[in-house]
Amino acid sequence: MDDLLQHFIVEAHELIQQATDDLLALERDPKAAAPMDSAFRAVHTLKGSVGLFDFAPMGIALHAAEDLLGALKEKRASIDAHVIDSLLACIDQTERWVAAIEQTGQLPPDSAEEGYRLARSLRSQLDEDPAQAADAVPQADLDWVEPLLAQNRNASNLKARNAPLVAIRYTPRADCFFTGDDPIALLRSVPDLVAIQLSNRDPWPPAAEIDPFSCNMRIEALSGAELDRVKAVFRFVPDQVTLHAIAHTAEGQAPGAVLGGGGAGIAVGATGGAGARTLRVDAARIDRLADLIGEMVIAKNALAHLAEQFDEGLDRKHVAQGLVSSQAAIERLVAELHGAVMDVRMMPMRDIFRRFPRAVREAAGQLSKAIDFSVEGEEVEADKAVVEGLFEPLLHLLRNAVGHGAEPEHLRLEAGKPAKTRIVLRARRDGDRVTVEVEDDGRGIDPATIRRVARERGVASAEALDRMSDAEAIDLIFAPGFSTASEVTGLSGRGVGMDAVRSAVERLGGHASVRSLQGRGTAIRLSLPLTVVMTKVMAVRLGRELYGIPLDGVLETALVPAHRVLPVRDAEAFVLRDRTLPLVRLADLLEMPRPPEPPQSLKVVVMAVGDELVGIAVDGFAERMDVLMRPMGGILAGMPGIMGTTLLGDGSVLMILDIPELIG
Amino acid sequence: MSVRLEGDIVLLEGPCRVEDAEPLLRLLQADRGRTVDLTGAEHLHAAVVQVLMALRPAIRGTAGDAFLRDWIAPALAGENPSESGLQDA
Repeated sequence: MDDLLQHFIVEAHELIQQATDDLLALERDPKAAAPMDSAFRAVHTLKGSVGLFDFAPMGIALHAAEDLLGALKEKRASIDAHVIDSLLACIDQTERWVAAIEQTGQLPPDSAEEGYRLARSLRSQLDEDPAQAADAVPQADLDWVEPLLAQNRNASNLKARNAPLVAIRYTPRADCFFTGDDPIALLRSVPDLVAIQLSNRDPWPPAAEIDPFSCNMRIEALSGAELDRVKAVFRFVPDQVTLHAIAHTAEGQAPGAVLGGGGAGIAVGATGGAGARTLRVDAARIDRLADLIGEMVIAKNALAHLAEQFDEGLDRKHVAQGLVSSQAAIERLVAELHGAVMDVRMMPMRDIFRRFPRAVREAAGQLSKAIDFSVEGEEVEADKAVVEGLFEPLLHLLRNAVGHGAEPEHLRLEAGKPAKTRIVLRARRDGDRVTVEVEDDGRGIDPATIRRVARERGVASAEALDRMSDAEAIDLIFAPGFSTASEVTGLSGRGVGMDAVRSAVERLGGHASVRSLQGRGTAIRLSLPLTVVMTKVMAVRLGRELYGIPLDGVLETALVPAHRVLPVRDAEAFVLRDRTLPLVRLADLLEMPRPPEPPQSLKVVVMAVGDELVGIAVDGFAERMDVLMRPMGGILAGMPGIMGTTLLGDGSVLMILDIPELIG
Repeated sequence: MSVRLEGDIVLLEGPCRVEDAEPLLRLLQADRGRTVDLTGAEHLHAAVVQVLMALRPAIRGTAGDAFLRDWIAPALAGENPSESGLQDA
């Protein structure tokens, strides 16, 4: 894919998002000038960029959208939900097209028809006053088409056609023969001609005064080919030709139906919310990285200088001192570099939040719910992986809030609530975590219903359910198997795939919780780590293998003489400063053979597991280190007892153990 | 030679280029009763077509070239005479 196209795709995504935001803002406040201008600009720019490529259908649709926005801007047409719908439909389709272009480099085969359909639907909004529309086709310009169709000897064939036609009006410049143009030759290369009409631009002069080298022709023709193929023929004379896609309506057919048939209907794949996207980074952050690299180069040079001195036989003490300070400098730089890279990866919630108003609007439209949706804390930043990973779960939660949280308007009014259900999507930073909440003031969750459903579906036993507090019962909505898509509509709470939401959030290192008051509303809270942090781990040896244990759970290490280990039934214990601690051997936890000869003394890592202290016996202690822990992915993702992995300096993999989970 | 006079008939033969427009115009201006024969024409440059449009000579013969036969000849024949200023000439 060439650079220009890649750039176009990035820009298109942004412009599409901008246009969407603006249109939604306009729907809320039709009189707002800023979003009007901004939407117009976004669509105008997008149309302009599209023109650089061979994506004519997209250009046609966007051009129509631009005209409509222009008319709205000049108050020649009025803004209502219908107008916004058709503009959003155009933007939606453009987004799908851009996604298709991203994948295949071209528009899908059915795009020509879709482009015409969108353009017609947009232009139909302008019908009230078509003559004034800025770029709309002046009706007079196409007056010739109908008579030409009528008189054409192929008209009978035409009636049977279901394809749109391209109307060509070509008025060659008077001096075109001198520049080597032959309009008839161009006409000859128009694909799929269906009609031709030749006429003179100006009245012919008397026969004796005719200048054979001055072109006085006007060519009008119709082609059944796609607009871009026709356009290609006239690419060198764009100023002399006007091309218009026209809907060729056969008798008795609604215009909308005309374009329905034909075309290889390859559906565009879903745009996929979380596809790989380019990361746009604030230039200042890149500058900081560049500065740090500069400092790194200096630190490296200092090392080279030291090496030289070493060669020259300088005293070891001096060199050692130099090495230590050089190492310290590099360590500091690495830490700063890491921070800077993490910064680059930080992105604001805005990048996903801005996509939700449309989703909520759609869901509300489908379910005929009146929703007042607002977003707070868009500027809160978190790691790219965290932010992007939140898109699906949040979409789910918002749809649930619309579908199950929001009550019908009359019930709300009876309950003394405002007619529109308020749904708030909120992000805020809590220390090194980010909290994202979806809150509604809808009907809330009835714990009794949850208990009944949980019992019916065998999510929990009757006794367990009886023992549960209401809050615990409501938490069951996250339990696997609690809800199924088909049954959830009858439930007064929320439903589909809440277990999926919880597991998605847990995969990101977060957790999900719910608060709900019957009749008052529901809030689902997701708490997530702000970033993929450096984890301090302690490496321990077992046989020849190294394993990592997160240092935050380690209290101390101890040497326990073998004779101080007390057998307690099947288990073992030892006494540490007058406390008896259970002793677990890591080899047992990992189901590996114990060393053949019991050592004289045990090396024990004392850890806090839950509220208890536990001693973990290992074969040896190795160094402590800061590692960038990667969560287990793929088929290893479900492996119990392993928190993640990290790469060691020698290229080997260090597995980081989740001791509490191993102990179970 | 693409433009050739044979009695009262102007024959257009082979690909007629922009430079054929002037001889054709002279021939038709000299005698407005001449007929143009398209049988052997393979292409008519727009300048040539324009001369035929302006002077509206009688056309005979079916061009061997499909594009001329199907599109240009009918378009020349179908032109609405009232639109051309020829009658005044």
